[in-house]
Amino acid sequence: MRVPLGTLRILVLLAVFVATGLFFASQIDGYLNARLFNRISGSVAVIALIAVGQAFVVLTRNIDLSIGSVVGGTAYFTGGILIAYPGLPPMLVPFLAMAIGAVFGAANGFLVARFRLPSIIVTLATLAIFRSILVQSSDGSSITTDRLPPWLTEFATMNAFTVGDLQIRWIVVISVLVVLTAHIFLTRFRAGRTFFAIGSNPDAAAFAGIDAGRTIFLAFVISGALAGLAGFMFLSRFGNITVVAGLGLELKSVGAVVVGGVNIFGGSGNVLGVLIGAALIDLIDTSLVRWALVSAFWREAVLGLLILLAVAADTVLMRRLLRRKPTGGAP
Amino acid sequence: MPPVLDMRDISKSFGGTLALSRFSLVLEPGRIHALVGENGAGKSTLIKTMTGIYQPDSGEILVDGQPVTFPGTAAAQRAGIAAIYQEPMVFPDLSVAENIFISHQNRPRLINWSKLNDEAAAMIARLGVSLDPIRAAAELTLAEQQTVEIARAISLNARILIMDEPSASLSDHEVKRLFGIARSLRDQGVAVLYISHRLEEIFALADTVTVMRDGKHISTKPVAEVTQASMIAEMVGRDMAGRFAREPSKNTGVTLLKVSNLAKTGTFRDVSFTVNKGEIVCFSGLVGARRTDVGLALFGVAPADAGTVEIAGQPVTITSPNQAQSLGIAYVSEDRRKLGLALTEGISANITLPMLGKYAGAFGWLDRMRELADAQAFRQQLNIRAANLTVPVGTLSGGNQQKVMLAKWLNTRPRLLIVDEPTRGIDVGAKAEVHQILRTLAAEGVAIIIISSDLPEVLSLADRILVMREGRIVGEFAGDTATDESVMRLAVAAPDTVTGVA
Repeated sequence: MRVPLGTLRILVLLAVFVATGLFFASQIDGYLNARLFNRISGSVAVIALIAVGQAFVVLTRNIDLSIGSVVGGTAYFTGGILIAYPGLPPMLVPFLAMAIGAVFGAANGFLVARFRLPSIIVTLATLAIFRSILVQSSDGSSITTDRLPPWLTEFATMNAFTVGDLQIRWIVVISVLVVLTAHIFLTRFRAGRTFFAIGSNPDAAAFAGIDAGRTIFLAFVISGALAGLAGFMFLSRFGNITVVAGLGLELKSVGAVVVGGVNIFGGSGNVLGVLIGAALIDLIDTSLVRWALVSAFWREAVLGLLILLAVAADTVLMRRLLRRKPTGGAP
Repeated sequence: MPPVLDMRDISKSFGGTLALSRFSLVLEPGRIHALVGENGAGKSTLIKTMTGIYQPDSGEILVDGQPVTFPGTAAAQRAGIAAIYQEPMVFPDLSVAENIFISHQNRPRLINWSKLNDEAAAMIARLGVSLDPIRAAAELTLAEQQTVEIARAISLNARILIMDEPSASLSDHEVKRLFGIARSLRDQGVAVLYISHRLEEIFALADTVTVMRDGKHISTKPVAEVTQASMIAEMVGRDMAGRFAREPSKNTGVTLLKVSNLAKTGTFRDVSFTVNKGEIVCFSGLVGARRTDVGLALFGVAPADAGTVEIAGQPVTITSPNQAQSLGIAYVSEDRRKLGLALTEGISANITLPMLGKYAGAFGWLDRMRELADAQAFRQQLNIRAANLTVPVGTLSGGNQQKVMLAKWLNTRPRLLIVDEPTRGIDVGAKAEVHQILRTLAAEGVAIIIISSDLPEVLSLADRILVMREGRIVGEFAGDTATDESVMRLAVAAPDTVTGVA
C-alpha cells in the first residue's frame, strides 16, 4: 500500500511535533501540563489563521509579507471603532474585522493580479504602507484594555468546553473551524483546486481557461480577511494595542506554511499540515522561553532554522521524486 | 464525409515576414492527416492559428461548414479543437484525474473524488491504455503525460486533435503506444492532424499528407501516392535565386579540435568529428536533433558524460564556460534575447562583459576609455549601426544585435568559435554581412562550428556539413558537393533507410 505523499507529510509533521514536545518535557520540569496547552492553544489559534491565509497565497506562487501589518491594522481599527461605538453587537465585530482585513488584502490582490507585479515587492511595500497608515491614524496613541468593552477582553479566555483540565477556548474552536473549512474548500471544491492549478503550472492553467488573475486576487482577499479575524483575536487577547502590534507575524505565517509542507513555489500543500506547522512553531517558541540551556533570544533564529530545514527537506524530497521519473529522451 | 475543419486562404504575417500565405487545409473526421515541412515552413504559425493563439490576417475558417473566428484559445476549444505538443502541458502537482477534468466548467462545484477517478479511468481506457488516475502528473513519464493531455482533449469533446511533434522525445515503445492512441481516436471519428519530422512515421500512421513550404501549401496527397523522396523534394524545393554564393575554403588542414565519441546520456552519443583552423564546419539537422546540446557540451554549459576532446593536440575535459573560454572557445547562442545579450545595457558594456578582467585595473576599477575604444573598433569592423556605443542593445535591429553578440565573443580572441543559428530572424542584408564576418574569421585561422537550420546558409558557408539526427551524427558531406535534398534526406530518414554516406 502506497501512502500518498501528502498524507506522509502530515504524519511526519505530527511525529516531529510529538518528538519536540517530548524533548522539551525531558528538559523542563513540570512541562507537560494543562497550563502549557491552554497557553499555546490561544496563540496557535491566531497564527493558524494567518498561516492558512498565507497558504492560499503561497499555493498560487505568491507571498503576502504584509500580513503582520494587516493584523496590527485591523486590531487597531477594530479597537478604535469599538471605543467609539461600544454598543456594537458582539456577533458583528469579528465580521467587521474580517471586512477591514479584506480591504487590505484586496489592495494587495489588485496590485498583484491587475498589474502583474511581483507579490514579494507589492506586499513588502504594503507592509510598510499599512503600518504607516496605522501609525498615522493612531497618532502614536495606543488602544488600552480599560477603554474597550469588557466582553471583548473576556472573549479570548472564554471556554467553549473543557476536557479535564484542558480548556478549549472559543478562539481555538473558531480557528480550527476555519482550518477545516479551508481544507474542505481546497480539497473538495472545484474552485479550490484552481489555486493548486495556477501554482502548479501557470501556462497550462491559462490554456485550460482558468482565470489566474481572479484566483490570485481572491487568495489575497482571503489572506487579508483571515488576518483581519486574527487581528480581532489579537485585540481580544491582549487588549492593549500599540503601533507595533503584529510586527513580525509575516515570518511566523510563512514559517508555518513552509514547515507545514506547502511548496513555496506553489501548487502543492495541505492546510492541515499548516495547522500542525503553526502549532510546532509556537510550541518551540514558547518552550524556548522556559528552556534554561538556550537563551530566549535565539527564538527567532530557531524559527529561521526551522524554515530552512523544512525548505531543504522539501526540495530534496521533490528532487528525489523527479529523478524517479524516467524520461524517454533521445537515445 | 463532410470536412470537420476547412481552412481557406489563411494568411498571417509578422512585421514584414509572411508566415502563412493563402494556406488552405481540409480535415475530415476519422482520418489522420499528416503535415510536413522544413523548420520555419510555418507549421507552428498554422497550429497557433487553428487553436486561437493567433488570429489570421485574412482567410476563412469553417467548422462543420460554419464560418468561425477564434478570438482566443477558449473559443477554439469550444469548437472542438485541441492540440498537444512535444512538451506536455500538465499540472505536475495534480493527479491524473484532476489534470483531465481541470477545465471542465460543467462539473459540480463539489468534487466527488471516487467518481472523478472512475471517469478518468474510463477516459484513459478509451485511448486503449491504462494509467492510475490518482498518481500525480509529476511522477509520470513524458509519454504518460502526453496521454493525460490527449485524454483531457478528448474529455472536452475535441473532434480535431493536433499533435505537434508528439514523438520527438519518446522511445520506440512509447511511439508505438502513441500510434495506438492516434488510431483508436481515428476509429472513434476524431480528425487527427499529425505533425512530425520523422517521415517514416507518416507512412506508418497517416492517411493523407500535406507538404508546406515558406508558409505556402505545396501539395496534399493520399499517403499511398507519395514517397519519402517526393516529400523531401517538395519540402526543400526552392529556386536557386535564394542561394548565397560560395567562396573558396580557408581550411588550413591543421587540426584544432578533435572530438571522439562524445556522449551525454539521454541527449547525444557517438559524436566524433574534427575541425581545422580556418575551416567552417556546419551542423545540419532538424529541430530536436540535439545539435545545440553538442555545442553547449563543448562550451561547458552542459558538459558531456563521456568521450574525449582535444584542442590543438591537448586532451581537455571541459566542465564550465569559464574554462572553455580560457581554452579559446567562444559560443554565440541562438537565443540572443534570453542567453546572449544584456538588453538594457549599451553596446560597449555587452562587448566587454566576458572579458572584464582585461579592462579592470587596481581594485577592479574599470577602464572605460579602453572599453569604449575596443567597442568602437568592433563597431567599425562589423559595421554595427547604432547612434552611439551606449544605446541599449535591446533597441537595435536583430541583425545589429547579432553583430554585437559576435563582437562580444570575438573580443575573447577565440581559437574556436561556435555559432548557433547565426542569422535566425535577421534580414537578408545583415545575413550576408554576418556570413562575410564568419568567412573573414576563418581566413584569420579561427576554427568555426556553425549550427544552422537554414540549409541555403549551410550550403553557402560550409567546408564540411555534419548531419545530426536523434542525437547522433548520421552523415557527412563536403560543402561544395552537398545539395538541399541530400542533406534533408539524411536529416529526416529512418535509421534503416540510411545508406552509408558517412
